[in-house]
Amino acid sequence: MSPFPSSRFPHPHPHPTQFGVPVLSRRGLLRGAAVGTGALGLSGLLSACGERPADENTVTFGSNQSDPVPREALAQVVATFEEESDLTVEVNTVDHNTFQENINRYLQGTPDDVFTWFAGYRMQFFAAQGLLTPISDVWEDIGDQYSDAMRDQSTGEDGEQYFVPFYYYPWAMFYRPSVWAERGYTPPTTFDEYIALCDRMRADGLVPIAFGNEDGWPAMGTFDYLNMRINGYEFHAALMRGEESWEDPAVREVFATWAELLPYCQEGANGRIWQDAAQALVNGEAGMYLLGMFVGQQFPDDQRDDLDFFPFPEINPEHGQGAVEAPIDGFLISAEARNVDGAKELLRFLASAEAQELYLASDPNNIAANSTADTSNYSAMQNKAVELVSNATHISQFMDRDTRPDFASTVMIPSLQQFINDPSDIDGLLRQIEEQKQSIFDDE
Amino acid sequence: MTAVTSTSPATPPSTTGASGVSSAQRRKRRITPARIALHIVLMTAALGWLAPVLLAVYASLRPYADTAAHGYLSWPERLTFDYYIQVWQDAELPRYFFNTLIVTVPAVIIILFLASFVAYAIARVRLPGARVLLVLFTAGNLLPPQVLITPLYVLYNKLPLPWWISDSMSLYDSYLGLIAIHVAFQLGFCVFVLANYMRQIPTEITEAALVDGAGLWKRYLTVTLPLARPALAALATLEFTWIYNDFLWALVLMSSGDKLPITSALNNLRGQFFTDYNLLAAGAVLVALPTIIVFNLLQKQFIAGLTLGANKG
Repeated sequence: MSPFPSSRFPHPHPHPTQFGVPVLSRRGLLRGAAVGTGALGLSGLLSACGERPADENTVTFGSNQSDPVPREALAQVVATFEEESDLTVEVNTVDHNTFQENINRYLQGTPDDVFTWFAGYRMQFFAAQGLLTPISDVWEDIGDQYSDAMRDQSTGEDGEQYFVPFYYYPWAMFYRPSVWAERGYTPPTTFDEYIALCDRMRADGLVPIAFGNEDGWPAMGTFDYLNMRINGYEFHAALMRGEESWEDPAVREVFATWAELLPYCQEGANGRIWQDAAQALVNGEAGMYLLGMFVGQQFPDDQRDDLDFFPFPEINPEHGQGAVEAPIDGFLISAEARNVDGAKELLRFLASAEAQELYLASDPNNIAANSTADTSNYSAMQNKAVELVSNATHISQFMDRDTRPDFASTVMIPSLQQFINDPSDIDGLLRQIEEQKQSIFDDE
Repeated sequence: MTAVTSTSPATPPSTTGASGVSSAQRRKRRITPARIALHIVLMTAALGWLAPVLLAVYASLRPYADTAAHGYLSWPERLTFDYYIQVWQDAELPRYFFNTLIVTVPAVIIILFLASFVAYAIARVRLPGARVLLVLFTAGNLLPPQVLITPLYVLYNKLPLPWWISDSMSLYDSYLGLIAIHVAFQLGFCVFVLANYMRQIPTEITEAALVDGAGLWKRYLTVTLPLARPALAALATLEFTWIYNDFLWALVLMSSGDKLPITSALNNLRGQFFTDYNLLAAGAVLVALPTIIVFNLLQKQFIAGLTLGANKG
């Protein structure tokens, strides 16, 4: 096409001098720039020696408290710690859901020294993989301020402590006392009373039980309570650890009981977020709602006093109402921590009643994990929650924290959604869960 | 230089004439029921596209308690800009906007710089296997980025970087890594568009430059590149919005919250359980604003960018 084959070459021979000068000068410029960057790079490399500068005075802190109110509260706690110690804390905030979904990548990548996480199996899972630093020496100092249940939830399978509890929030049946007083309802304690109340509410034109499960996790709370009430905490815990079969008639009974309850629940739950279900409770359209204490966040400030709860009713008298679902949030030290001493000092502070009181001042939907924390500023509901949890025979953490996270999210979320859509084929569903459970739990 | 530009048949006179005639005809056309129907359909469709945006703006101006109690399609009790102030200050949006710039601006410059090299080589240098090269770059566009997430994640973690380039000591969680991934994934498209565009520039122009004694560099830099300016502008606009809008890569390849670009940082407005959707709407409106502005200012380039290289030169 082109009659000039020399176009392949940058410098056609006929005119070497004509363009030699500008080309050379551009090259010269480029070369100069390259040398310049190289020199800069080299000096940087030499001064840093390619190592992350070790800083004994800094602790890095990965936080999943991203929304404005808790973030500000945590910032205050950290500022107080910085004042009281010689350490500086670098807080790295990532939003809660992303943090949770990225935890594997996070821990295997470049984790912070201290990070926010959950108690129980979900912590033990990572401790067993050697991704956490044991902190039994911290527990020697703080242990007497915590209940045995808290210590259990903070202990790994190897008997060492890994976790510092910060706060917890119980799950229960929430209702509006004003709505109930108007119609003369009283909190049921047995399952028969519970069903009778549901019938009464339906006759009165209320949706008895608010229900929203779009995100997949809220329905787990219902399963947990039904299983603990019907089969007891021990069986529930073993089932969650993968030691019991999902095809066991005991599990079948849980789903059969749930199928009885479903007609009393808000329809189309898989397409409703919990906030909309809670709004039905706020508006007085629904009678009660099984959720964590964070349900209060959906209530307008001036109506928060009009919220109360009762424990999930008894089904099997053998197990009573003793087991309580109360997820605990707190802190861990990663195995890769650069400043372990500083991290432990931060954990000692976060474990103190002082730090937890400071944090909870801005968040009335949680309870301090430290048993010596001052409860005089608690609302009536917070005090009731303290009583509920301290009288509990067992504390469970919630399905996605009590079992393998991958099992909870990839098997249980779709399975429970399928059950809510069509509760008729329980046997098929349980067979399917058991098959998938085996492939996940045998993976190790 | 100006003489050269004017010879390029960017807008043939016949086209202008034809469009002038047709618009004059249109003006004369009478209003018929079919036209009214057409406009109703068009307006409904436009409203359909605008509705989500308008609803987000409307929601962002109302307090959460109001919309929670009465629904999003109700008459407002009061309208306020509080959420915008809250988002700007509490969620530190300016910082995340800056992070986006750190990633987007170098990425766009590097992409265009490298793509113009390859495109010029394919279009104007008689390179053995030029066609294969073009096919290779074009085929890269067909690769779904999602399938590469896991290998890339592992690779990024294993590529060490010195402390002064990335404080994570690896390509993972570094701006460099994010820029590199955008360059890699957008290069194919840009090479394809630029190569087709450069082919359309008459060979006579470069040949004339060659006769005048211009070397390869000179022909690339002072003849072809200025002529390809419309294509570069169109691509710059497109690439800017695409990289700006990226959500996935920052989520996968970043772990520090304070390094996230604006789109991923929007997640910070969501709580552990409770999310104030009206606050989130205010944040989303602010984040969408730059792309809306860029699109409206540079609409011409935008549409040009989508059709450039659509036909083979």
